[in-house]
Amino acid sequence: MGPLIPNGFITGDWDFVIAILLGIAFGFILEASGFSSSRNLAGVFYGYNFVVLRVFFTAMIVAMVGLLYFDYFGWLDLSKIFILPTFVWPMIVGGVIMGLGFIVGGFCPGTSFTAIAIGKLDGLVFTIGLYIGIFIFTESFPLFSDFYTSGDMGNPTLMDVTGISAPWIAFAFTFIALAVFWITMLIEKRVRKTTTAYKF
Amino acid sequence: MHSNKLEENKQRYLNPYFGGVLLGLLILLTIFITGRGLGASGSIKSAVVTTTNVIAPTHAQNNDYDKKFISDDHSPMYNWLVFESFGILLGGLLSGILFGRVKKFRIDKGPNITNKSRLIAAVIGGMLFGFGSQFGRGCTSGAALSGTATFAFGGLIVLLAIFGSAFLYAWFFRKLWI
Amino acid sequence: MNRNYFFLTALMLLLAIGTMFLSKSEQQKQIEPDKLLWEIIQPTRYVSTDEVAKLIIQNDPSIELIDVRTPKEFAEFSLPNAINIPLDSIVTTSSLEYFGIPGMNVIFFSNDAIQADQGWVMTKRLGFDATYVMKGGLNRWIETIIQPTEPKETAPQTEFDIYQFRKGAQIYFTGAKVETTTNAKKNKVVIKRRKKTVTASGGC
Repeated sequence: MGPLIPNGFITGDWDFVIAILLGIAFGFILEASGFSSSRNLAGVFYGYNFVVLRVFFTAMIVAMVGLLYFDYFGWLDLSKIFILPTFVWPMIVGGVIMGLGFIVGGFCPGTSFTAIAIGKLDGLVFTIGLYIGIFIFTESFPLFSDFYTSGDMGNPTLMDVTGISAPWIAFAFTFIALAVFWITMLIEKRVRKTTTAYKF
Repeated sequence: MHSNKLEENKQRYLNPYFGGVLLGLLILLTIFITGRGLGASGSIKSAVVTTTNVIAPTHAQNNDYDKKFISDDHSPMYNWLVFESFGILLGGLLSGILFGRVKKFRIDKGPNITNKSRLIAAVIGGMLFGFGSQFGRGCTSGAALSGTATFAFGGLIVLLAIFGSAFLYAWFFRKLWI
Repeated sequence: MNRNYFFLTALMLLLAIGTMFLSKSEQQKQIEPDKLLWEIIQPTRYVSTDEVAKLIIQNDPSIELIDVRTPKEFAEFSLPNAINIPLDSIVTTSSLEYFGIPGMNVIFFSNDAIQADQGWVMTKRLGFDATYVMKGGLNRWIETIIQPTEPKETAPQTEFDIYQFRKGAQIYFTGAKVETTTNAKKNKVVIKRRKKTVTASGGC
């Protein structure tokens, strides 16, 4: 039966009520997990706080495995959900730029909104930066409009690209994520012994 | 330092794995309802397009990027992601109130930098992130998390590019954080 | 605390492994056996070679002829506008797009009716309707349409009518071959494949 909105179960302005409700849940989870603090977020790259990695990868494997169960029970038609298009080169370059923005700014867009909500000025300034960055992008778009659409592969899934079936991919992600959780638990213990000035 | 110590004692966060399971279930619910995942940077894009369109309409319509998101029917702000991002703000506030983290404006930073340099870094980081998110077709939540969770190849590329490169940069920017 | 994490790790792994067993059985949602048996004994699931010939000559856009023999046999001889889907690849996703299209009737055929019957049962078990088998297969097709035998003089008039039709069809399928193939191509049915629907895009 799902997805509900593309299948016409929910129509009209309910769309936006749902958007706000889902956003509230998203914001709540991000904030409650500690994503409103840039120090928590940046911690993952210095080995003193792995909250990002844990929340992020747990969410990813739960959603991946969950999707397969949803598909099995007929709740969700996997062929009807949105698959992000792939533009290989712009995505790699964009990701590398975002990585730099992440380590310098200490936030990503969603988390900076929650930081504003609890009164963090750096979150507000980061969001202003986001606005300026996107503005620069749109104004200079003619310069790289060709590059923007280079490496277009359509909307391939990992299954299309690798030829491996979805359950195996989900299992591989799950296995790697769980292994990383255990490894980081050990790293964290070790780093925390040496970092004395650590505070949230 | 002393006040920081006190603040640390007050911080109560969800267990990260519990938070992760909740977030994963939320992604599932979102996909179940809307057919696509969560996002955040798209709302800022809508805001940019809207302001350009209001201040300089002809300029916006001549811009190949802006005009993709402009329609005659309604403002670019009348967009799913804009409402969702407003929800993120509310949800963050709700959690902040519940866990006692809503306080007067303050700055969160590493121990060895000034407030000013933290804010300059934040604005530069934001600019880079905003700029990159347009190339990446989304940010960490939209492309990397929701994208990879729906088995999209592009999502995995963005995920690896963001986190992989950030680990490489980390050493150069360690002054900011440790 | 660590013990809880061990437990959760195991649970997550089990759930992930569980998906491997799901998706296989999931792909083949089958109809009830008694319903299948009932359908199998229905004579209406067969169409005669005469009817097929008539449909081809009329350029009926609602039929889909599916040759379930090997590609080699298909290359040697087949019916006009037929599609080759060998038996072993009927249940692949790309082949399944041909079945269950509203308004389309699928007709299976092979040399005799046995392979075609297998194809019919496979698709039927997956719940597809509007599938048929050409009775007697291509062997019967040759006997009746390509080389029709004249009925005995004592035979009833209806047999002569059928013979007349077959002679006409014979000319259509053999003598006037060049004309028919071009004609058939012009009217070739556009196969409406069920495409993956992609919901509205627009970045995060």
